[in-house]
Amino acid sequence: MVFGMLDGVFFKLGPIPVDHIIFTEWVIIGLIGLIAFFATRDMQMVPRGLQNAFEAIIVFTYDFFTQLMDKEHVAKKWAPLLTTFFLFIILSNYSGLLPGAAGLAGFQPPTSNWNITLTLALITFCSVHVAGFAEHSVGYLGHFVSPSPLMLPLNLVEEIAHPLSLTVRLFGNIFGEEMVIAFLLFMVPFLIPGALMALSLLLGAIQAIVFTLLSASYIAAAAGESH
Amino acid sequence: MGVALGAGLAVSIAGIGGGIGMGVAGGKAFEAIARQPEVGGDVRTLLFITLAFIETLTIYGLVIAFMLVGKI
Repeated sequence: MVFGMLDGVFFKLGPIPVDHIIFTEWVIIGLIGLIAFFATRDMQMVPRGLQNAFEAIIVFTYDFFTQLMDKEHVAKKWAPLLTTFFLFIILSNYSGLLPGAAGLAGFQPPTSNWNITLTLALITFCSVHVAGFAEHSVGYLGHFVSPSPLMLPLNLVEEIAHPLSLTVRLFGNIFGEEMVIAFLLFMVPFLIPGALMALSLLLGAIQAIVFTLLSASYIAAAAGESH
Repeated sequence: MGVALGAGLAVSIAGIGGGIGMGVAGGKAFEAIARQPEVGGDVRTLLFITLAFIETLTIYGLVIAFMLVGKI
């Protein structure tokens, strides 16, 4: 165990070891699914309670992504994925804030492991190109040789750099924040780490928003005009 | 010794650059909002994206520092 980073393997699923990061991820996915199930179980024309809250979230995100992406049908198509990114990342970031979570298997933020953030970034990478091909079909390939064929290597490097920077940004922020809190807990066990945890409440939300916004703007750039 | 020094330098030099860049970007954004408060929402969204880009460069330094600390 290094600075609260455990390597606990809970059980093996065939040849695949299931460690605490994956377990936490499953719990978060289950939580989101359960809340969504209860919100949509008994839908009514005039929404009340949980259904009302979910409808507010959906309307807000649809309007937000429509404004950001200019094309309404593209926004409608990709808003569910982007909203799920946001919910999953914000719950993952906050799962490390429970008291004593840094040293406890099962409560470390899954986003503080770069395997998880790389997976999320690769989903974005694939959806960017799917969105580009769905919108422009073969004409999308022209985007790689614009403004001139000389720019082809630079454009390819840019395509690799996007998921890489998404990965390192989310992982570095959450991992660094967890490390600083673990160091402070080691030196001063009371009060002082609380201030930093309050700050990381804000940071976790901002990182979730930034990941979602950047994914949305990459998809909008691929599906937009002017290729 | 050298590795520890390198870890400290990696994060501190990256922090200097990121700090200056964020200060300039944030200051300009506040000027813009003070001059035209009605575009505040747009400026704020753009500011967050810009700050995230700047922050990434600092975070690269931090990740390298963690890698070096792991080697000590």
